[in-house]
Amino acid sequence: MRIRSAGRFAVTAGAVALLTAGCLSSGSSSGGGGNTSNSIELMYGFTGNQDKDFQKVVKAWADKNDVTIKFSPTPDFNNLINTKVAGNQLPDIAFFPQPGIMASIAKQGKLADLSSVLDTADLKANFVPGALEAGQVDGKQYAVLASANIKSIVYYPKKAAQAAGVAAPQTLDELMALSQKIKATGATPWCFGIENGPATGWPATDWVENLMLIDYGSDVYNQWVQHKIAFNDPKVLAVTDQIDKLLLADGQTNGGRKAIASNNFGTAGNVMFNTPPGCYMYRQGNFLAQPGFFPKNVLADLDNQLGVFPMPGKTADSHPVLGGGDMAGLFSADNDAAKKTMKYLSSAEFGNSMAPLGWYLSARKDVDASKYPSKTAQQFADITSKGTEFVFDGSDQMPGAVGSGSFWKEMVAWISGQETAKQALDNIEASWPK
Amino acid sequence: MLIKIINAVLAVLGGVGGAILIFFVLNKLAEVLPGKWEDRVKPYLFLLPAFLAIALYLVYPTVQTVLYSFANSTSTAFVGFSNYGDLLTSKDFQSTLFNTLLWIIVVPTGTIVLGLLIATLADRLRPRGEKTAKTLIFLPMAIGAVGAGAIWRFVYASNPPGQKQIGLLNGVVTGFGGDPVNWLQLSTGRVNSFLLMVMLLWAQAGFAMVLLSAAIKGVPTETLEAARLDGAGEGSIFFRIVVPQIRTTLITVFITVLIGVLKTFDIVYVMTNGLYNTNVVAVDFYNQLFTNQNAGYAAAIVVMLMVVIIPVMAYQIRQFRAEEAAR
Repeated sequence: MRIRSAGRFAVTAGAVALLTAGCLSSGSSSGGGGNTSNSIELMYGFTGNQDKDFQKVVKAWADKNDVTIKFSPTPDFNNLINTKVAGNQLPDIAFFPQPGIMASIAKQGKLADLSSVLDTADLKANFVPGALEAGQVDGKQYAVLASANIKSIVYYPKKAAQAAGVAAPQTLDELMALSQKIKATGATPWCFGIENGPATGWPATDWVENLMLIDYGSDVYNQWVQHKIAFNDPKVLAVTDQIDKLLLADGQTNGGRKAIASNNFGTAGNVMFNTPPGCYMYRQGNFLAQPGFFPKNVLADLDNQLGVFPMPGKTADSHPVLGGGDMAGLFSADNDAAKKTMKYLSSAEFGNSMAPLGWYLSARKDVDASKYPSKTAQQFADITSKGTEFVFDGSDQMPGAVGSGSFWKEMVAWISGQETAKQALDNIEASWPK
Repeated sequence: MLIKIINAVLAVLGGVGGAILIFFVLNKLAEVLPGKWEDRVKPYLFLLPAFLAIALYLVYPTVQTVLYSFANSTSTAFVGFSNYGDLLTSKDFQSTLFNTLLWIIVVPTGTIVLGLLIATLADRLRPRGEKTAKTLIFLPMAIGAVGAGAIWRFVYASNPPGQKQIGLLNGVVTGFGGDPVNWLQLSTGRVNSFLLMVMLLWAQAGFAMVLLSAAIKGVPTETLEAARLDGAGEGSIFFRIVVPQIRTTLITVFITVLIGVLKTFDIVYVMTNGLYNTNVVAVDFYNQLFTNQNAGYAAAIVVMLMVVIIPVMAYQIRQFRAEEAAR
């Protein structure tokens, strides 16, 4: 009896020992702070094809430059990076999809000041105005916009629009007039859909942000985003009035105001390719031109079917761009391989290797436009590089309670007619965390 | 991959082995004690790991949550009852509570009625018909709530007027020449909340049916025959003979569904995320914690939910004990 028990004990103890050993061996973690090897970890929030493309390009560079990169894509970047920072399990470089999170981590002193790593003169000369500022906290450069996207663009059905004599407007007034002109012919000027499951409402926030930027410029826009002016400021109410006239009034939107909240943002614009077109204009991000949204026959013949013009500025020579993207920040300031990689990620060389992929858009003006695979993609690049001021999507920068909470919900309540615009804006202001 | 499999195997072995080891050591400890004391102490020693686990995984988080419900959004300072005050006076939360109340009343009752109806009717079918009917009705139980959401989206979907309607309901409506309706936005009379409840009923009816059907079949035929001989109609047989005899099962089903309803999250989150006045407590909790990052509000909501659930649980346990005692 005693012997048997001892035998069992030995087996158990052995299993426990093995167990711990087994668990240890699988968790190889390189990480910021003290990592001096040339093997570094890169953490980012894009997955799927974008992840595959990105790994291919970066790996090709890394192989030539004696850097080994561990790629850590995660669909839940924002939560994970906060957890990792709290537990001091830092990656060496991270791509922040939202400036707010980057800033809060930079303020904790975890991110390296890039002025000693990168050539700031080169950055200043070649990045679109505003793109660099998005990566600055208290005047110091903590992150660089390595991959951009733009949201202030309008899609239109090229052939139908040519037949109807629709031309790209140069000012916001011209856009309003164009909208009236289309309506006068008995057609519907706009498509608009904000349904996106639990995230329903965000496309409406883009409209508000875009008009805030166009009407008042980036300074006021940024003040509004940072809550230095109230969310329900009369300026914002003026913007919701514009949206009322442009999109919500009778006959302005395909299906009418009531259909907006149940119309999926990804496919709301597809009726523009019907004959006659269900609408002539749809404002949405450049991602929409990727497979999965527009009908297959349009995608197959993209440059001939799909027209693009930027959301115009207040005047003909202002070209504000509303966008976003992934900003690369460096955690391991003392690691040479990480510094080298950081330099590469913010270079035109990186942009030139990524451009042919189609979905990628660089915030650098010196990336060779001919590298983009389609006319449409080149146009996106052109709109970006001609931008007079580049600002980040505002709802992404606001506190979560507003930016992905009340702003979305109240826009839906307003557009679906449950509330007035004033009530919606007041509610959002009240929900801003104190 | 291999290392993961090895780890999984080791985890299982280690878990079981670890448990054996703990009890082995506890047993040895008890054996050290002199004669009588060994027998006295042993049961408590053996209960100890379970108690510790409950304390660690249940009692500690509960206490912590209650504490957090009196703290601010980042749980750094106490704010008294203001979380509760803010929530209970906010129009949105009142509407959320009202919706939850509707869910509590409608869904368990509806599930019982449907389950009973199906069970009784299926009972009268021939064996093959009964099996087929029951299988079909039980099938939705096997579909997760998010899957159910994907399916019901195709029922409630609404496209702008003039476009092809892919939604079943709107297909019917436009087929008769009507305009498409945004079903999930119909907040007047809480129609949209009821439409969401239908989804849960659809998913839960099978569960109620299976339990109630078994209970109905367990009713002694002698009692039914006696009632028939005395000239009772089918209606009074059902309500006076069958229902009283399956009462305990009815209560069990009711309470199980009720607790499920209080926790209803996925259906509402997937379909509307609480928009258009369809919010319920669990979705609000999620949004307070993960969207608004307000741990204080979130904890207060959970505490309120807990306060509501505890009497129900207590009742269920008492009922269960009474049932055990009756055997």
